[in-house]
Amino acid sequence: METDRPETASSRITGKLSSACYLLYAAGCLFPGLLSLRDLLFGYSWYVSLPLSGVLTLSFRGGGLSAYFVIILSLLGFCVSVYSAGYTRHSDSPWSALLLYGIFVSSMYAVFYSANIPAFLISWETMSLSSYFLVVSDTENIEASRAGLLYGVMTHIGTAFIIAAFMVMFFATGSLEFAGIRAGLGSAGNLRSVIFVLALIGFGTKAGVIPLHTWLPKAHPAAPSNVSALMSGVMIKSGIYGIILVTFDILGVGAGQPVAGPPSATLWWGVAALSAGAISAVMGIMHALMERDIKRLLAYSSVENVGIILLGIGASMIFYSNNLPAFAGLALAAALYHVFNHAIFKGLLFMGAGSAVHATGTKNMEEMGGLIKRMPWTGLFFLIGAIAICALPPFNGFMSEWLTFQSLIMGIKTSVVFTKTFMLLAGAALALTGALAASSFVKAFGISFLGVSRSAKAAGAEESSFSMLAGMGILSVFCLLAGIFPGYMLKLISGVSLPAPGGLLQFAPNGFAVSGISSSGVLPTALLGTMLAGAALVFIFPFIAGGRRKSICADPWDCGVRRLTPRMQYTATAFTHPLRRIFKKIYKPRKEVRIDYIVKPFFTREIEYRSEITPLAEVYFYRPLTNALHDIANWARRLQSGNLQLYLGYILGTLVVLLVVWG
Amino acid sequence: MPKAWVVVYSITDFITIGMLLTVVAMNSLKRMESCLRAYTINSLLLATLMAVSAFYLDAAHLYIAAAVTLASKGVVIPFLLRKVVRDLKITHEVEPNINTPLSLVITSVLVVIVYSSLSKGIFIEGFTENTLKVSISIILISLFTMITRKKAVTQVIGLLLMENGLFLAGFSLTYGMSTIIELGVVFDVLMGAIILGVFLSQIKKTFIDLDLDKLTTLKG
Repeated sequence: METDRPETASSRITGKLSSACYLLYAAGCLFPGLLSLRDLLFGYSWYVSLPLSGVLTLSFRGGGLSAYFVIILSLLGFCVSVYSAGYTRHSDSPWSALLLYGIFVSSMYAVFYSANIPAFLISWETMSLSSYFLVVSDTENIEASRAGLLYGVMTHIGTAFIIAAFMVMFFATGSLEFAGIRAGLGSAGNLRSVIFVLALIGFGTKAGVIPLHTWLPKAHPAAPSNVSALMSGVMIKSGIYGIILVTFDILGVGAGQPVAGPPSATLWWGVAALSAGAISAVMGIMHALMERDIKRLLAYSSVENVGIILLGIGASMIFYSNNLPAFAGLALAAALYHVFNHAIFKGLLFMGAGSAVHATGTKNMEEMGGLIKRMPWTGLFFLIGAIAICALPPFNGFMSEWLTFQSLIMGIKTSVVFTKTFMLLAGAALALTGALAASSFVKAFGISFLGVSRSAKAAGAEESSFSMLAGMGILSVFCLLAGIFPGYMLKLISGVSLPAPGGLLQFAPNGFAVSGISSSGVLPTALLGTMLAGAALVFIFPFIAGGRRKSICADPWDCGVRRLTPRMQYTATAFTHPLRRIFKKIYKPRKEVRIDYIVKPFFTREIEYRSEITPLAEVYFYRPLTNALHDIANWARRLQSGNLQLYLGYILGTLVVLLVVWG
Repeated sequence: MPKAWVVVYSITDFITIGMLLTVVAMNSLKRMESCLRAYTINSLLLATLMAVSAFYLDAAHLYIAAAVTLASKGVVIPFLLRKVVRDLKITHEVEPNINTPLSLVITSVLVVIVYSSLSKGIFIEGFTENTLKVSISIILISLFTMITRKKAVTQVIGLLLMENGLFLAGFSLTYGMSTIIELGVVFDVLMGAIILGVFLSQIKKTFIDLDLDKLTTLKG
C-alpha cells in the first residue's frame, strides 16, 4: 500500500494534466471555427502562400467550401476534446495519444485549408498516418493492430489514386495551385473524366463507399471512442470534401454549361456517384442492422450516411448536366447539410457508445442492457443522436434527408427517361435505407439502454464524468437547433460558393420553394402542427379509449412469471431475425447448431447456436482479388528457381532483347 | 587508302575472328584441358592484337598493355586454373544442359543478331570496325556457354572469356585506355581468378561435387 501511494498521486496529476491539455485543444478549435463562421457569413476569403524552398510552395485558403468544413471540424473537435478530457483521465500513459490527437486534428484543418497539391497531399498523409497510429494505440489488442494494418493498406491505395488524379491535373495544366488548375484545365472531356474516376475511387476509399469500405467497420471500433467520433464525424467527410473539391471546384461541374440543349457528356459522372451512393446507403445500413458490436453498428451506419451524402452529390451532377441549376443547388445543399448533420450526430453517438463501453467494458450490445437507469444522461444523449440519425423530426437528420428526398424526386424533371427512372429508384433506395436505419437504431438503443442489465458489468455501470456529458450535451443541443432552424443552416451553406453557370453557385429561391422552406423559416408549419397533434393524441388516447382504470404496479412484460431474468429478454439477434429472413438473398445467413448430448436424443448437455451473415464485399470482391494476386505471385515464384544457369539465361535474354531493340 | 592500312584491317580481322572461333569452340569442347587451352589461345590472340595495334598506331603504352595481358591472361591465369583442375580431379564436363549441335546453332544465331543489330545503331569507323561486333558476340557467346555448362570450372572459364570480350570491346572503342586503367583491369581479373579458384575448392569441399545444379539446395 505504501508503494502504491506515490504512484496514484502521480497518475492523478498525469490525468489532470492531460485533461487540461484536451481542454486547451478544445479552446484551440474555437478560433478557426469562429473565423470560418465569419468568412462564410460575410463571404470573405483569404489566401496564404508559404514558399518553403525553391520548388515546394504550400498554399492555404479560407472561405467558401473550406470554411464550411472547418466549421464542422471545429464544432465536433471542440465537443470531442471536451469529452476526451474526461474519457482519457484514467489512462496510464496518455501522452502519445494526446500528441497524436493534436496532430490528427491539426492535419484535418490543414486538409480543409489547403489550396495547392503539395499542401493537400502532405496534410492528407499526415491525417492518414496519425489516425492509423491512433487506431493501433491499443498495442496489446491483436485485433486492433490487424484492423490498423487493413486501414493503412486501404488508405494508401486510396491515396495512390488521389495522387494519380492530381498528377494528371498537374501534367495537363502545369500548375500546382487548385485555382490555376481550374483555369488551365478548360473543357478537355476525356481527361476530366479520368480525373473524376480517379478522384471518386481515391476519396471514396477514405469516405468508405462500398466496396471500398472494408477498413471502416474494423478501424472505427478498434480506435478509442473519442478518436472514432472524430474519424467517423470528420475524417471520412474529408473524402466527401475531396470529391466536392475535385468535381465541383476544380473540374467545375456545372460551370460553363450551355444554357439549353441536350444533357452534357458528364451525365454519367452523376449516375456513377448516385449508384455508389445508393449501394453504400442500402448495403451499409443492412450490415449495420446485423451487428451486435455497438461501435461496428455505428461504423456501418457511417457507410450508409456517406451513401446518402453521395446521393445528393450525384443528383446535383445529374441536374447540372441537364441544365437545371436550381435543383442542382438544392441537391448539393442537401448533401452539405447532411455532412454537417452526420458529423454531429455520429460524433454524439460514438461518444455515447464510448461512454457505454467505458462503463461496461464490453462492445457487445447483448451484454449491456438497462443502461438508461444507471446512466440517464448518456442514455438521453444517445437517444437524441439515435432519433436524429433515424431522420425523425424535430432533429437535424430529418431535414437533410428530406431535402435529399426532394431533390431525388425532382429527378422527374430531367430530360431523359433513364435518369428519371434512375433517380426515382435512388429515392426508393433512400426510403428503404431510412426504414432500416430506424430499425437498427431501435435495436441499438433498445438492446443496450433499455430492459434489464444483461451482465454483471452492465449492472454496475456508472454515469460518465461531467466533461464527457458536456461534450455530448453540446452536440445534442446542436442536433436540435440544426433541426428546427434549417433556414439558418441553408443560409450558412449558401456561403459555400462554387463555380457554376452565371458566376457563383446560388441556392436559388425556387429551389427552396420546391422544398417548402423559406430561407428564414423554421420547420414547415403544417408538419410541425401534425407532429404536435400526433404527440398530443398519444397522451390523450388512453383517456378516451380506456376510461377510468385502476393502476397495478408490476414488472412490465413478465406475463406472470414474476422473476424475469436477463436471458428472457429480446436479444439483438432475435430483434433483427425477421429482416434477416426477408433479405435472405442478400445476407446469405449461415447457421450452425452444435448439440452436445448426454443421452441422445433426449438429454442435452449444451447447445451452441451460431449464425453469421456473409459479408458481400469481402466474399465477392476482395476474396477473388486476393486469390488472383496469390495465383500471380505463385506463378511468378517460378522465376526464382534458384538455378544459376536460369538466372544467367535471364541476363542473356535481356541483353539480346536490348541489343535488338536499341542496338 | 594506303597499303599499310589494308594490312592492318586484315590482320585485325584475322586475329579477332580467331578469338571468336575459340569462343565458339568452347561450346563443343568436353575435356577441361581443351577448354583451358581455348582460353589460353584466346588470351594470346588478344595480346597479339594489342601488340600489332601498338606497332601500327605507334603507341608505346599499348606494348605495356600487351605484355601485361600476355603475362596475366596468357600465362598466370591458365596456370592457376590448370592447377585447380588437377587438384580437384575434374577431367570432363558432364552432359551440358543444351546438346552440342543445338548450342552451336544458337551461337551462330547470336552472332547474326549482333551483326544485324549493331549495323543500325552503334557504329564505329576505322580499322576496329568489325572488332566491336566480334567483341559483343564473344561476350554473349561466353554468357551462353555459362548457361549450358554445369561444372563450376567451365563457368569460371566462361566468365574469363567474357572479360576478354569486354577488354576487346573497350579496346575497339578507345584504341587502348591509359596504361594505369588497363593495369587495374588486369589486376582485377587476376584477383578474380584467384578468388574463384578458392571458391571452387570450397564448393567442392561442401557439396562433394562441382555440379552447379546442387546449388539449388541453397534456395530457401
